[in-house]
Amino acid sequence: MDGIYAVMDFLLPFDWAEYDFMKNALLAVLMLTPLLGFTGTMIVNNKLSFFSDALGHSALTGIGIGVLLGIDNYMISMVGFALLFALCITGIIQSETASSDTIIGVFSAVGVSLGVVLLSANGGFTKYSNYLIGDILAISQSELLLLAIVLAAAIVIWALIFNRLLLASVNADLASSKRVKVRLYNNLFVIMIALLVTISIKWVGIMIINSLLVLPAAAGRNVSSSMRSYHVTSVLFSMVSGVAGLISSFYFGTSAGGTIVLFAAVIYFITFFAGRKRKA
Amino acid sequence: MTVLCGDKLKKLAAALISLSLVLLSGCIRSEDKVEKLNILASFYPIYIMALNITDGVEGVNLQCMAREQTGCLHDFKLSTEDMRSIEKADSFIINGAGMEGFISDVVGRVDGLNIIDSSVGIELLASGHNHNDDKHEGHDHDENEYNSHLWVSVANCITQVENITEGIIRLDPKNETKYRDNSNRYIEKLRNLKNKMEESLADISNRDIITFHEAFDYFAEEFDLNIVSVIEREPGSEPNARDLADIIDLVNETGVHALFVEPQYPETAADVIAAETDAQVYTLDPGVSGDMDKDAYIDIMNNNLKVLKNALS
Repeated sequence: MDGIYAVMDFLLPFDWAEYDFMKNALLAVLMLTPLLGFTGTMIVNNKLSFFSDALGHSALTGIGIGVLLGIDNYMISMVGFALLFALCITGIIQSETASSDTIIGVFSAVGVSLGVVLLSANGGFTKYSNYLIGDILAISQSELLLLAIVLAAAIVIWALIFNRLLLASVNADLASSKRVKVRLYNNLFVIMIALLVTISIKWVGIMIINSLLVLPAAAGRNVSSSMRSYHVTSVLFSMVSGVAGLISSFYFGTSAGGTIVLFAAVIYFITFFAGRKRKA
Repeated sequence: MTVLCGDKLKKLAAALISLSLVLLSGCIRSEDKVEKLNILASFYPIYIMALNITDGVEGVNLQCMAREQTGCLHDFKLSTEDMRSIEKADSFIINGAGMEGFISDVVGRVDGLNIIDSSVGIELLASGHNHNDDKHEGHDHDENEYNSHLWVSVANCITQVENITEGIIRLDPKNETKYRDNSNRYIEKLRNLKNKMEESLADISNRDIITFHEAFDYFAEEFDLNIVSVIEREPGSEPNARDLADIIDLVNETGVHALFVEPQYPETAADVIAAETDAQVYTLDPGVSGDMDKDAYIDIMNNNLKVLKNALS
């Protein structure tokens, strides 16, 4: 770790980079944002933005269960519950009894209300409020290592299944004719979103995580003409807003997560008008 | 989807109505046969005081409203169960000084509620006192104008015990001697504790400390400690990058080497600061949660004394 800090000290001779917590936060942003930006493209493509939002909300219940079971690390219970939640939602959507947004809405409501009930059972809901907006400034070195492992695993998984996943999401009929198991890939994708959302929540926050998934991808979509440029711009927008947001939050004394999202939103509106002009 | 038509709808309605009748009948109060004095303490420190005062007095039913894990009552939301306990109580003992932010709502809603305010006569510190921090200025501090963590100072705790004793005696004069005996005995213990702490802390070398939230202002005043900065003025108000950087600089400049966190709150921000400075993180307990035991407050303070000696000498 000291080696990385030394390199960063050399590359970044700014006063914000004098503090180790800012270096840690920057590293976290550099690992999280490309992951969120890339996954976001698939979420926007598959019209799953409401779904990932619901998953974020389910984290409240996950934390509540963790508190109830007396687990110290809430991430375990959050991930466990989010996986169950995600598979239940897709299972019910696939049974086609109601439209998917209704089903997701129902589950989202359950996730929030159950979480509030469980967490306020002990009277102190405020104790968990840092999960609402996240705390990227308090990321520890072991958590950075965890993030690096998640990032590496995600890259490997994407490399292995991306083409088939894309095919399954763009054209399910074509995919099944090529013997791609559409249902399997959809479930895999849902599990990946669940993992990514719940792992990031401690640092990004329940209310903000979905903006970071959706905004860069939506902005990328505004200005790109091919699949490749779509992914590249989305990852790029995500990283730029992450780094710019983090650094400005230091100088303006604002909340890091919120500032990052504001940057992403500004990029979205710029690309919206740029894209319209180009098409016109 | 099947449409509910006439008959079915009627049956459903009948079922719903009978269900709600059953639920309602369960709520009808069963009158207590024995005349009991129901005393409700708002939260843990107050409960421990009242527990000592009412110890061994027959016919007293003492309850604690907020569960013992709750900690301070910042942004506490009254549940339906809490409202019911308040309505049932003959007397509601509160810390006062704004700790029970919900109290003004309760007073209007519950008829004839007897409230014992334990903060009467204590000189209150303003919230944010002795910190050169203008971040919260201009805020409309409706109920948090004063720092309400009174009991963390032993002297204040003694005053609170006296106030509660008088309040209970007014309510139940026939047991006056018992209450007074209990109260005097407990106050004696508290005085001993205060003397012991003052003596032990008289010769520590470094009096500069940083605390996590402003629970220790009265305590610091009592034992002549200097709170250089408070990391989170209120729990849940995470410091932003600028605040963190300022505190880190401050620690490095002033050579503070003790950061005090509270067992009731996670210590992430303090960890961040400790990682970049020579300061170390210690746990001081403001006594807002713990065992439902008569000597809990004294035990907690003795423990705090050990931590302080260890951290500051």
